[in-house]
Amino acid sequence: MGVFALDPEVYRRYKDEVLALSNSFQKIHQPGLSDKQIAERLGLDERTVTEIRCVAERDCYPLDEWQRAIEFKRKAALEWAALALKRPDLKPE
Amino acid sequence: MTLPPGAETTLKSVALKGGAVVCGVADAAAFDAHAPAGHRPADLLPGARAVVVVGGAAPREGDWAATSPWVLSTMGTTERIQSVGRRLAQWIESEWGYYALFVPPGTSSGDQPFVSLMLAAELAGVGSRSLAGPVLNREHGFMYWSAVITTAPLAADGPEAEPACPAPPCREMWEREGTTPCLRVCPLSDGGCLDGRIANGRAERTGYDAARCKTRVHTHWVPGFQKVLETTLDEPDRDKRKMLLYGDFMTRTLWAITYSSTNIAQCFECMRVCPAAHGLKEMR
Repeated sequence: MGVFALDPEVYRRYKDEVLALSNSFQKIHQPGLSDKQIAERLGLDERTVTEIRCVAERDCYPLDEWQRAIEFKRKAALEWAALALKRPDLKPE
Repeated sequence: MTLPPGAETTLKSVALKGGAVVCGVADAAAFDAHAPAGHRPADLLPGARAVVVVGGAAPREGDWAATSPWVLSTMGTTERIQSVGRRLAQWIESEWGYYALFVPPGTSSGDQPFVSLMLAAELAGVGSRSLAGPVLNREHGFMYWSAVITTAPLAADGPEAEPACPAPPCREMWEREGTTPCLRVCPLSDGGCLDGRIANGRAERTGYDAARCKTRVHTHWVPGFQKVLETTLDEPDRDKRKMLLYGDFMTRTLWAITYSSTNIAQCFECMRVCPAAHGLKEMR
């Protein structure tokens, strides 16, 4: 028996709903649901929901957003250093 | 065996001597109202009565002032406070004879923790949720957390009445400019993660892009590795695959995830500018 591999069609169909209901991403005013609770609500089995959630957690943004993260952090760190150390020359262009 | 008189005071003293900056106790049952089933203390340790939370290991001023974002990501690790948690669990079992489970700092499934350490810190009264997200201690600001679930019948401290956020300078900035340092550095409306406001002196989060936050928090960590690996596997050109595999992104990510240069959560920008997290303390 191999590793449980999710059917891509099932993933595409349910990923938005699972992610919206899950506790993976911090909610503002209420806690998310457990995989078991989501499974009961959507009529799926728990393991399928777990796999949908895990894949979806990683599938929200393309790799380009990771590069943007690097650029954001480099700029923000320099801006703070310029302010904290009173070194305006450190400010990024 | 029952607990000796003053058990909570003794335990906190042991934690502080062991390297914690703060220590509090949460009622294990208090998680039920906030955490889904499967992520509560008793789900991990049946019969759990209390959760002991320790905080500490905050970055130094030099780390906050560093010109490279990779300094905080490499130096600001949770490992130092985890070792305090582990020792505390050992102490509870050997001294009192109650089960004590050190909450594993890793994930139980996907990106989900076994038990939320931020929730534990809130319920133990050693921190409160900030507008930016992280839990801050009123006196010490940003710190790392570790927790021990135990069957010992410790008295709970209960949540803090007054949150650390918003700090007075943030209230003033809100009145003056309609924003706060964290909202300004990472605005949801301009490619960032955070949105919120201050109403009646209280911080209120109104928007949060958790998925984007993850690209910033875990840039060179497991999520970053999976993203670049996927792109590499999809690339049909052998030379282009080599550029991706040997390039800076993949190399730095591998250094991080193999703990060759310890690097876990990496985006501190909302905390770097936060007066409640660490302020702007001038050094010589």
